[in-house]
Amino acid sequence: MNMINMKDFLKGSGFIQPIWVFVIVITVFFSFMSEYFLSIGNLGNILVQTSTIGLIALGMTFVMINGNIDLSVGAVLGLAASLSVGLQDYGITIAVIAALASGLVLGAINGLIVWKTGVNAFIVTLGAMIGVRGLIFVYTEEQSFYATNFAFSDFGAASIGPFPVLALIFLVCTLVMHLVLKKTGHGRNTFAVGGNPEAALDAGIRIGRHMMINFIIVGFFAALAGVLLATQMGAATPNLGRDYELWTITAVVLGGTKLTGGFGSITGTLGGVLAIGILRNGMNLMQVPAFYVLVILGLILISVLIIDQRLNVHASKGVSI
Amino acid sequence: MIYKTALATGVMIFSAGLAQAEESYRIGITQNNVGVDSYQTTYESAFEQAAAKHGNVDVIVLDAGGDVARQIGQMRNLIQQRVDAIIIWPTNGQAVIPAIRQAHNAGIPVVVTNSKIAEAGLDYIAAFSGPDNVQQGASSAEMMCEALNGEGQIVQIAGQPGYTTAMERSQGFEEKLAEACPGVKLLETQPADWNREKAQRVMENFLTKYDDIDGVYAGDDNMGVGALNAAKSAGRADEIVFIGATNFAVGYEAIERGEYYGSIYQSPVDDAEAALQTALDVLAGEEVPKMNFFETPKITANNLTEFDKPVF
Amino acid sequence: MASIEQGKQAILLNKKYKEGLLNFLSAQGILVFFLICMFAFSLFSEQFLSQSNIMTVVRQASIIGIIAVGVTIVIIGGNLDLSVGSMLSFSTVLVVDLHDKIGPAGAIVLMFVLTLMIGAVNGLLIGFMRLNSLIVTLAMLSAVQGLVLIYSGGKNVDIANQSDTWFAIFGRGYVLGIAVPVILFAVLAIIVQVGMSYTSYGRRIFAVGGNPAAAVYSGIRRNWCVFSTYLISAFCVACAALVLGSRVMGSQNNVGQGYELLVLAGIILGGTSLLGGAGSVWKTIIGVLILGFIQNGLLLLGYPYYTQWLVTWVIIILAVWLDLANKRKRLFTTHS
Repeated sequence: MNMINMKDFLKGSGFIQPIWVFVIVITVFFSFMSEYFLSIGNLGNILVQTSTIGLIALGMTFVMINGNIDLSVGAVLGLAASLSVGLQDYGITIAVIAALASGLVLGAINGLIVWKTGVNAFIVTLGAMIGVRGLIFVYTEEQSFYATNFAFSDFGAASIGPFPVLALIFLVCTLVMHLVLKKTGHGRNTFAVGGNPEAALDAGIRIGRHMMINFIIVGFFAALAGVLLATQMGAATPNLGRDYELWTITAVVLGGTKLTGGFGSITGTLGGVLAIGILRNGMNLMQVPAFYVLVILGLILISVLIIDQRLNVHASKGVSI
Repeated sequence: MIYKTALATGVMIFSAGLAQAEESYRIGITQNNVGVDSYQTTYESAFEQAAAKHGNVDVIVLDAGGDVARQIGQMRNLIQQRVDAIIIWPTNGQAVIPAIRQAHNAGIPVVVTNSKIAEAGLDYIAAFSGPDNVQQGASSAEMMCEALNGEGQIVQIAGQPGYTTAMERSQGFEEKLAEACPGVKLLETQPADWNREKAQRVMENFLTKYDDIDGVYAGDDNMGVGALNAAKSAGRADEIVFIGATNFAVGYEAIERGEYYGSIYQSPVDDAEAALQTALDVLAGEEVPKMNFFETPKITANNLTEFDKPVF
Repeated sequence: MASIEQGKQAILLNKKYKEGLLNFLSAQGILVFFLICMFAFSLFSEQFLSQSNIMTVVRQASIIGIIAVGVTIVIIGGNLDLSVGSMLSFSTVLVVDLHDKIGPAGAIVLMFVLTLMIGAVNGLLIGFMRLNSLIVTLAMLSAVQGLVLIYSGGKNVDIANQSDTWFAIFGRGYVLGIAVPVILFAVLAIIVQVGMSYTSYGRRIFAVGGNPAAAVYSGIRRNWCVFSTYLISAFCVACAALVLGSRVMGSQNNVGQGYELLVLAGIILGGTSLLGGAGSVWKTIIGVLILGFIQNGLLLLGYPYYTQWLVTWVIIILAVWLDLANKRKRLFTTHS
């Protein structure tokens, strides 16, 4: 009896999700290992460094609950960053608007293709991941762009009281997307479509539209992350955002969202991105050599996957033979 | 237990005594992408050894893995830890400037190593220490001119697009070639991302595209040897002059065998030691010139014996 | 009378022929597309169809092709393998580094054993523990890259005496005027394709990928089947490492970075569905060759290298879409 309660508790039917247990454990661990870890400044750093992957992960959570995936987010981030710096001759506002618009448009293109052609989202966005990177190189001609106006990079470094602005933006977005997922019809339908597309279709849900909206959401967040990353650098490089799709998907899955769709949460995703951010930051502080960080991150990801499966084992008992 | 505590206290007193005798420094370094090639790996171990030689230097060694965003995060972490000085090997000459400016504003001197940052950032750094890549490109152009007697058609295999070292070497090479050697024509330039296999593929494509190639300039020897491999397979290595930069062991051996005309000798050990020394000079309050270039001479079959074979 | 009958028959035959042609075109759309591409490029570049150029492209494509053969089997079995890029780095660094230490034969054997062990880890986690293949191989992508760097200490590895080692044959050798990498690619592809088409093993893999539950009820040991696909994938990576290491006679630690995407792009372009249960090595070969020739053609025409990425974007989606549209006899989906 006790055991079952424990399992329910860890499975997240209680108030706390397993990834948050992990986040708390590593937080306690690193605070013993390094005196700098728990300082306000370092915690702010973690949030700022997490915000890039974190923002994309918010949108990715929607797309994945919906039963799709988006591999093009890293390239979209790179394009938005380049536009937000490269167009600053027309004014920072216009540059930023153009950058965000590029994310919306590319998201809409991905979504429309997935909806209308019925081609698997993995393939559509794999194509876009390669192609949008090409767009960046065509636009930048392989060059890095540099913001001559320090106001742009000052924004990236600004803080309100002890809280870095970028961290606040990330947290506000997280709250908003949590509410959208939980409290709106679009959120409910996203679950319904991902859980059982045929049933959703029978229930009269316009599944194509919801898919497209979710691709637009992830496109927007990838672009926003790109703009904010560009403010941190005061510059943009054509290779920016490579591999980010992999880390984003990793974080979302760590947070408990199912790749098969129909299940997931923004709070879990927040836990997932924090887990990766804290691990990276903590291992930096402990001076773990970069080569080992790669191995440790890989092993932790597999371990979490195994633990998650063991906790859910009774649910799949009927199928496994 | 008591013994251990006593020992620990002893060590503490001892190190405190040392610190009094000679001021102790904590220096953070964030590198570009250790492990992507041997130069950077050798640099890292040389840096750690050099730091260990100075008893009073405590180093925090970080690696950005080639990712600008991660490097900026590491800069912030180092600022957070209030290190005495930061050495940075920029992943990108422009994108790191705001982070360098933040360190500068926090009163932490920054030394840029190996690869220059853009003009706009020079106000915020204490010094640059590294090779003069524009000069290296120019030297390679001189060698090319000399090897071809001022006449011929060549191709260029460049490093990673958008990376300062690659751009400066290409720029130095192209400018000098046009000025000193108008008879040598640059047919085409393709990047190979410092990768030997990619350089081999690029060269194979050049060889099918152009029936007549007299010379190849590669952004480093790793790529130069890749090009040499391709030409050897095609049976055209004898008619082509190969010139590289950053002499690698494989390049050194190829010069020895007479298959490779020349390169630029650049030691990661010199590079690392110069960076650390520059940082220490800055911390000691000495007047340090803004640009500190260490010597990177030409190396050809004629003066090969004057140099040790590179360890990487 | 006879002439009318003959005429009717001729028309019928003609119609039949036309239908046959249409069927052929729609079934082999990607092959047709491939031929059109080849023709178009040859109009603009004289060298494109030269023997030396074609040989160069095929030789360069063979490394990706060899890996793609293995990954195709994994995909037919209903899973993905993103770890092949890191595994390629691992195997290449290993075989090159060990070459001078224990000799080429020992190096090759040890490299194959260790590469198969990594494949076995993938297979255990995905086949027996039923973990999601995308995430497991993503984690392995990171972990194996770390292992390579730890093993080599981040340094390049080189083979000291390049001119007299028989190891050179795999990447640089020629048999009857054909490059050895191409021969390896072809032999591997034929063996695997025959195995998939004509053996009960192949049928089982198709069954497991197409309908796992049904496969299990018909007595197929699904776990072992999935496990074996990852061994095949690892074996192919090891073969590719042999070619790559021998071709370069050295290796950087990240030499395989990004190969997983090139491989996937080739497989998808060829028309193998990511859903599992369908596909063929033959299609994958066409897909990989198309990518190779497009890249080469665009470079010969003088376009910057990144234009190939834009072209890849368009043709990947177009190819899969048209294939899909042909199957459902409708260009667009109907739901709103």
